[in-house]
Amino acid sequence: MHRTGLFIDRAGFLQRRNPLTKGTGVVLLVGATFLLPAPLTGIALLIGTLLPLAFASAVGWRFLEVLLKTLLPVLISLVLVQGLFFPSPDPTTVAVGPLLFRRAGLEFALNTGSRLLIVVGAPLLLFQTTHPGVLVQALTQSGMPRSVGYILLVALQLIPAIIERAVGVAEAQRARGLETEGSMLQRIRGVVPLVSPLIVGALIEAEERAIAIESRAFNAPGPKTWIRDIPDPPVERISRMVLLGMLGTLVVWRVVAAVLG
Amino acid sequence: MPNFSPSDPIIMLRDATFTYAGASRPALRAVTLAVPAGQICAIIGKAGAGKSTLCALCAGFVPHFFRGRLSGDVIVDGVSIADHPIAELVRHVALVGSNAFSQISGARFTVYDEVGFGLENLGVPRLEMIERVEWALRALGIEQLRDRSPYALSGGQQQRMVIAAALAMRPPVLVLDEPTMQLDPPAMMELSAVLRSLAQQGITILVAEHRLEWVADVADRVVALDQGTIIADGAPVDVLTDPRLCEVDIGWPRPTRIAARARTEGRWPPERPLPITLADLVEGLCDNTVDERHIAHEDGAADSPVIRPTNNTAGVRNPTMPVRTTEANPIVVLDKVGFTYPNGVEALHDVSLTVRRGERIALVGRNGAGKSTLMRHLNGLLRPSHGRVLVGGVDTRTTTVARCARHVGIVFQDVRNQLFARTVREEIRFGPRNLGFAPDRIDALTEAAIDALELWDVIDEHPYDLPPARRRLVAIAAVLAMDTPLLALDEPTAGLDNAAIALLARLIADLAQRQRSVLIVSHDLDFCYETLDRVILLRDGRVALDTHFARLDYTEAAALRADVGLPIELRLRYVNV
Repeated sequence: MHRTGLFIDRAGFLQRRNPLTKGTGVVLLVGATFLLPAPLTGIALLIGTLLPLAFASAVGWRFLEVLLKTLLPVLISLVLVQGLFFPSPDPTTVAVGPLLFRRAGLEFALNTGSRLLIVVGAPLLLFQTTHPGVLVQALTQSGMPRSVGYILLVALQLIPAIIERAVGVAEAQRARGLETEGSMLQRIRGVVPLVSPLIVGALIEAEERAIAIESRAFNAPGPKTWIRDIPDPPVERISRMVLLGMLGTLVVWRVVAAVLG
Repeated sequence: MPNFSPSDPIIMLRDATFTYAGASRPALRAVTLAVPAGQICAIIGKAGAGKSTLCALCAGFVPHFFRGRLSGDVIVDGVSIADHPIAELVRHVALVGSNAFSQISGARFTVYDEVGFGLENLGVPRLEMIERVEWALRALGIEQLRDRSPYALSGGQQQRMVIAAALAMRPPVLVLDEPTMQLDPPAMMELSAVLRSLAQQGITILVAEHRLEWVADVADRVVALDQGTIIADGAPVDVLTDPRLCEVDIGWPRPTRIAARARTEGRWPPERPLPITLADLVEGLCDNTVDERHIAHEDGAADSPVIRPTNNTAGVRNPTMPVRTTEANPIVVLDKVGFTYPNGVEALHDVSLTVRRGERIALVGRNGAGKSTLMRHLNGLLRPSHGRVLVGGVDTRTTTVARCARHVGIVFQDVRNQLFARTVREEIRFGPRNLGFAPDRIDALTEAAIDALELWDVIDEHPYDLPPARRRLVAIAAVLAMDTPLLALDEPTAGLDNAAIALLARLIADLAQRQRSVLIVSHDLDFCYETLDRVILLRDGRVALDTHFARLDYTEAAALRADVGLPIELRLRYVNV
């Protein structure tokens, strides 16, 4: 099975939603984490919104796994670095075993970490429940340049192909006696024979691919059509308006609150 | 402006000459060609003869994509190529190249969507688009692959998909540049059937191709090019037996060569025209004994005959060297080798074989039989999950690939992965230098390899500036110069013209004379039969057959035929009587 980014092919609540609606939801959630007080908002949004949506979309455990694997090292280093070295006039400390953490540093780490949960988690859920082809089609249909969409999709699909080619190059050069294991000097000697075929191959393929997409009328003038229909019923459009309205309300509230002191 | 009449052929070139920007001489010279609708017109010629340029010209990529100087008229489907951009020409003509992988758009995730990609760009309404995509998938017989990723298909399947994608745009003209380069014999036959079906539906097909036997099978007409000029044009039976083809090193199809040899031996009447297909050859050689249904079957068409030997030995197998192998100190020993990939796929089961000095071995089998996996065991790139592999007497699990490379040199099919140096000479010196040879020896080995592959005229050129066929010869020379006891080549004849294939055959014969062994993985059974002695058939990761072509009995020949087909000469020998 060829990989398609983070997408998990399941049927569920979010998979049935229009990608633009989901994208608007991501914008609202990320905005809310910065507009509302941390750390409560981030944790509340994770538990109250992202996790129920993930489980309703049959990707809950995988969502949690990827989120934790991605963020756990960051969160731990955040607590250690900020907790131990945060520059603050507040001298209050918290002792954890032999370590003495600064209270202000821990608060900063908690606030930042809770926001990261949403900043990473919301797009992650979008990508896990939206096929990249569908996402790019939806964005292109709503005005994103087609060439940008093409580049995004090609990059996504070609990365595995480039890795495969890199393995092939390494095999071909090792078969010619190139020692890729051993001392640093030996490894440095191997860089050119390993990297050059990869680059030259990519350049040649780029030309061939340019011919391929020209052959498929990529630059043909006139309106474009799509073989796949992405449903966008009124309820989806209304949902997007509501989500944007909520975001606008939050912004206004925050501005007013700041002005009033 | 051109002034052809409405009844003109669908492809019309009049006095077309094209010179690439920066080139000193034209790639095409005064080409005049008229192809009527529904014809399959094959273009043949040596590497560099101008075939690909002619294809690109008929599709508009010359001069719009590949720049240069064009004179004369080129009209396709009533449209002047020079006066219309590619974006418009795609409605009239589609070009499909030899490397299917690089023709995948990369913008779609399933075969179905990939085939529809061009239609989306043309703005075809959705319902019509679905109807066209379904038609194209059916026409190429790949409906069952619709939900697969384009990148997860085999080379043959990818080739059919890119043709389907081109056809879905309903161009009246389809141009194919070496479409069989990556195909095995069954896939080639399937492609012939598809092209004939399309031609019957009125689609005009221009196809540039090296494999003359395939051309003889599929084409309605053959045009021979040499140095950018048409030297012969007509019915396949006339052009493919034209002596001028041999004079310019294009050569003849195998059945023609076999009949020509039979003629010199008095077994083919001088007044009888030379054949271009196996069926005609058999008819001419033994028309009293041949049952053509069985020939058809051997091409994969009919039901199951039992093959029996005949006294007909019309072959052209070159019995230059008897098999003289050295029993002592084998180069490679595989002892009950099993291999399982990390994803759980068991690629090899209990494989035992020995490669001795002076052997010429064909490793054959269907796609997925385990050939590539086995080849990667020969120098330790893969290490067995069970059993052991000894290279030069050393277990591959206890040594490095670089050390195994002193005993086994491997040239992989995709030579792009191998070539990196700035000149051909530097490329060839790289291997022996890695092996730590003395400078004098490196010089001598490099010169010998350049001699053997006839590369003196390009030694200071960049390998990537050479045509693909010569690039492959450079890759072979680069491994040959490592002076290993065993040289393993993966699909070495892919994309080579007859002259280069003959050069390769001479090299293999010369190596065997000097007690160096050659192992070839190839779908080109005829080449294997003509140049090698021993044949190893892999089936589902097991050795199904390990014998010599000269000693094949009926049962073994049947096993070979069932999996990979039989070389033409063996088909002649084992025709049912």
